[in-house]
Amino acid sequence: MLGLALAAGAETRPQYGGTLHVAMRAAPTSLDPADKSQPDSFDRRSLTLLMFDTLVTQDESGRARAALAESWQASAGGQRWQLRLRRGVRFDDGTLLTAEIAAASLRVANPSWNVAADGESIVIEEGTPDPDLPAELAFSRNAIVKRNADGKLSGSGPFHVVDWQPGKKLTLTAAENCWRGRPFLDGVEIEMGRNYRDQMMALESGRADLVEIAAEQSHRTLQGGHAVLSSPPVELLALVFSTDVRSADDKMLREALALSVERGSIRSVLLQGTGQPTGSILPNWMSGYGFVFPTEADLTKARHDREQVRNVPAWTLGYDGSDPLARLLADRIALNAKDAGLTLQPTAAGTANVQLARLPLASAAPWVALAEVTASIALPTVKSKSGSVEDLYAAEQAELATQRVIPLFHLPVSYAATVALKEWRLRPDGSWDLGNAWLGSAKP
Amino acid sequence: MTFRRKLLAVFALTVFLSVAAVAGLVLAMTRRAFEKTEDQQTSGLMAEFQREFNRQGEEVTQRVQTIATSDAVTRMAGALNGTAADSAGYLDLAKSLAESRQLDFLELLDGRGAIISSAQWPAKFGYPESGFETLAAATNQGAFLKQEELQDSTALGLFAVRAARAGEHPIYVIGGRRLDKNFLSALDLPEGMRALLYQNRGDHFSPDFLLDPSGPASAAAGSRPADKFATLIEAVRQYDQEMTGVVQWSSDQADDEVFRAIPLHGLGKEHSLLGILLIGNSRRPYVELKRHIRASALLVGGGGIVLAILLSSWAAARVTRPVEELARAAQRVAGGNWDTRVGVPGSDEVSQLAESFNRMTTELLTQKERLVQAERVAAWRELARRLAHELKNPLFPLQLTVENLVRARLQSPDQFDEVFREGSRTLLAEISNLKAIIGRFSEFSKMPHPQLQPVPVNEMLRGVAQLFQAQLQAPGRAPIACQLQLDDRLDSIAADPDLLHRAISNLVLNAMDAMPNGGTLTLRSRREDGKVMIEVADTGSGLTPEECERIFTPYYTSKQHGTGLGLAIVQSVVSDHQGRISVHSEPGQGTTFIIELPSNSEALQKIDAVKKEVTSAG
Repeated sequence: MLGLALAAGAETRPQYGGTLHVAMRAAPTSLDPADKSQPDSFDRRSLTLLMFDTLVTQDESGRARAALAESWQASAGGQRWQLRLRRGVRFDDGTLLTAEIAAASLRVANPSWNVAADGESIVIEEGTPDPDLPAELAFSRNAIVKRNADGKLSGSGPFHVVDWQPGKKLTLTAAENCWRGRPFLDGVEIEMGRNYRDQMMALESGRADLVEIAAEQSHRTLQGGHAVLSSPPVELLALVFSTDVRSADDKMLREALALSVERGSIRSVLLQGTGQPTGSILPNWMSGYGFVFPTEADLTKARHDREQVRNVPAWTLGYDGSDPLARLLADRIALNAKDAGLTLQPTAAGTANVQLARLPLASAAPWVALAEVTASIALPTVKSKSGSVEDLYAAEQAELATQRVIPLFHLPVSYAATVALKEWRLRPDGSWDLGNAWLGSAKP
Repeated sequence: MTFRRKLLAVFALTVFLSVAAVAGLVLAMTRRAFEKTEDQQTSGLMAEFQREFNRQGEEVTQRVQTIATSDAVTRMAGALNGTAADSAGYLDLAKSLAESRQLDFLELLDGRGAIISSAQWPAKFGYPESGFETLAAATNQGAFLKQEELQDSTALGLFAVRAARAGEHPIYVIGGRRLDKNFLSALDLPEGMRALLYQNRGDHFSPDFLLDPSGPASAAAGSRPADKFATLIEAVRQYDQEMTGVVQWSSDQADDEVFRAIPLHGLGKEHSLLGILLIGNSRRPYVELKRHIRASALLVGGGGIVLAILLSSWAAARVTRPVEELARAAQRVAGGNWDTRVGVPGSDEVSQLAESFNRMTTELLTQKERLVQAERVAAWRELARRLAHELKNPLFPLQLTVENLVRARLQSPDQFDEVFREGSRTLLAEISNLKAIIGRFSEFSKMPHPQLQPVPVNEMLRGVAQLFQAQLQAPGRAPIACQLQLDDRLDSIAADPDLLHRAISNLVLNAMDAMPNGGTLTLRSRREDGKVMIEVADTGSGLTPEECERIFTPYYTSKQHGTGLGLAIVQSVVSDHQGRISVHSEPGQGTTFIIELPSNSEALQKIDAVKKEVTSAG
């Protein structure tokens, strides 16, 4: 009994040691969080926050929490922000975190900001009021990086780099002097550029401890005896047009396309019941008004709209060729469009009239999320004025009125892990947090 | 054309026609044989296609049956017939089952025909399968052809349908294999044959829908564009029956292919035309054999013609030469050389002909000699008769005169002197007459051979006219006008001037004698066909046709006191000059004598040459 209790107790108490093997789809060629050539993804966020810290983090509600910055305050209506840095934080090369280093890091990530060191604080000034600056500072791209003269990057995160093979493999080891405390894991090895199938095979064969899974696979994976964590819907799956509306006919056809998509059958079959059909950019859990936007298909109206146009061009629908689900979704949407009399030709080639895009929501803060999404698809960014829900709704409606984007689904991001991995969690931005994770035995 | 050439032509034509006939016959037989072989091969390939079709159909049917009875499908059928029927979880089932059973197409349909899972078009879940009623009715049948609509194309496949029943509503399993180049590759094709498959889509022919074992026929354009099949395929589409056509790939017939197009139909009442199987047979072996035969025929024909030439040369020695010899001999005989013999050995008809010819010429010679002898005798008789006649006239007065003299001496001696004087005059006149007669005979008998010289004809004629001018206008006779119609372009001819002058003069004298009452004497000269024509025409009483025939006969005369030698002398002179004389006359119309003389330019040149030699020697 005691042995069992001891064993049971040992299993619930964190253990130091072990190397976590992770597989991911992303294959970044740079670890610099501010490198804009690397596309934003949950994987990249996860990687960044293993090595680097942000000044601020976010909770599930989108509220800013202290990280490298202990406190902050705004002035001049939000045009000026002063953040006080935490003391005693060291980078993996032993250097202490200073305001100058933090300011330099932020300047690289945000060239339009006016960032200055002020003692143990940094001051950020923008031309316009930015009440959401703290939420922006929680972005992984704004992680504080010490850029050395030799080009090496140093971070204050729980792990630092041992070996880096760009796009292939990253080997990290625990930062002994991490300001948050040494992580339980001794190291993390990350295999990059693996598709879902390979990741699942690695998990099942024991070669990987933590993998991504497609949202529609989460049920099946759970049934396979693995631990599965899914975030709230933090990814927008949408149709994004490459150009603005060119004519009244174009507007009519885009409307017809939006009305032709049968979200219900796609969700139940292709997405296996995961995700939320949506007609809005922001998920309902974030905005509170997502349900207002219609999601039901109206084939009759779609056909009617299409018939108003004499010369209907054939559109190409681009999708990510490495994503099997994307291909299925694109084919299904093309079928739905065909029912409405529209010609949509799926293509995995780079350029297309319409792109089936996965847009990760960068923040739990709705204005910030909206701004990041619209910026990613080259729509005019709308800043909050009053910060009210009405403002937000109006702003989102304005974005949707451009008919550049047709929201389809909000999808969660899901990961599967071996049952031996304990205390790993998901952040609100969809990335995983291994700061307190530890490896137990494989037996449940 | 000579006999030898005719013979050669006949031989060559015979050989050519024989070879052509044989070649034509061989070609016809060859064509029939090839067509028969083609038919057999095509039928064989059709049977092969049918066997392969049936074999693959059975395989597809079996695999679909296996899938329909598999645990996975049975479980799915059970689950979907239950209360919490949710087909979402079976989205990938068709794909995995199709992969495991090596089927290109697999769809799982619910009882209403809605797609639960599709291997070839996964996104089509929930959509109704087109033609479901027909497919459902084919549940327990064998494999059939079906056009399957894909995302970006349409494919033709061999399908089978089976039902999985685990509840009230069946689950239909429709699986199939693509009818593509792999299917065609599986066919065992003889050398020179190939099979293509046309998927009947759209309203018009498109080369993109034509498949051959090397891939889409349109991709292998180059020297074999798929558009060449358009006509044949459109015909099958229109008439929906087997058709045969020749596809010409180039101007070389050996590149042609004969294609038989066989329509392939699908299920259902419409039995719509889903595809067209094209079985092609290269014409190269046939065309090459045909060319070979033709070349051989030409070679044989050419050889035959050469042989014909050789044969004709040999035949000439045996056949044409004797014939030619005979022909030459006949020509010589016609030319007057009757003493001609032909030597043709042998005993065949040609030899017999030669013998007959020789006998003929011998006979002719003999007859000629006899004739000549007879004419000579006749001429002597005529001469004797004429002499007797001519001499008799002057002799009778001679006799009378002598008798008068004798009588006068005896009876009237005082008148004897007068009678003697009268009688002497008569005797002398008649003796003179006799001497003239004898002189003319002598002259005719002593006609000299012509001494050729250049003789200006017109000048000579003028000379003759002038000579006789006085006689023509002599008092005591009706005047005769003399006209000269001379061609001034006439050159000199080679002739004896004296003899020619004499001849013309004789004609002029005859003309004068023919116009006792006056008239017109016309002397003409002209050139005709390279000959010099001299005409002496009068306006006298003319001659009868009988007189015209005999007028040149020696001693024939119509005159009371003529010797009949004048025209004979003229004829002799003209003949000695290799000329010809003829007469045109009608009673009351006058008479025209026409002398044809050769210009004899060679003789003239020789005379000039001799003169120059003489001149230079002198």
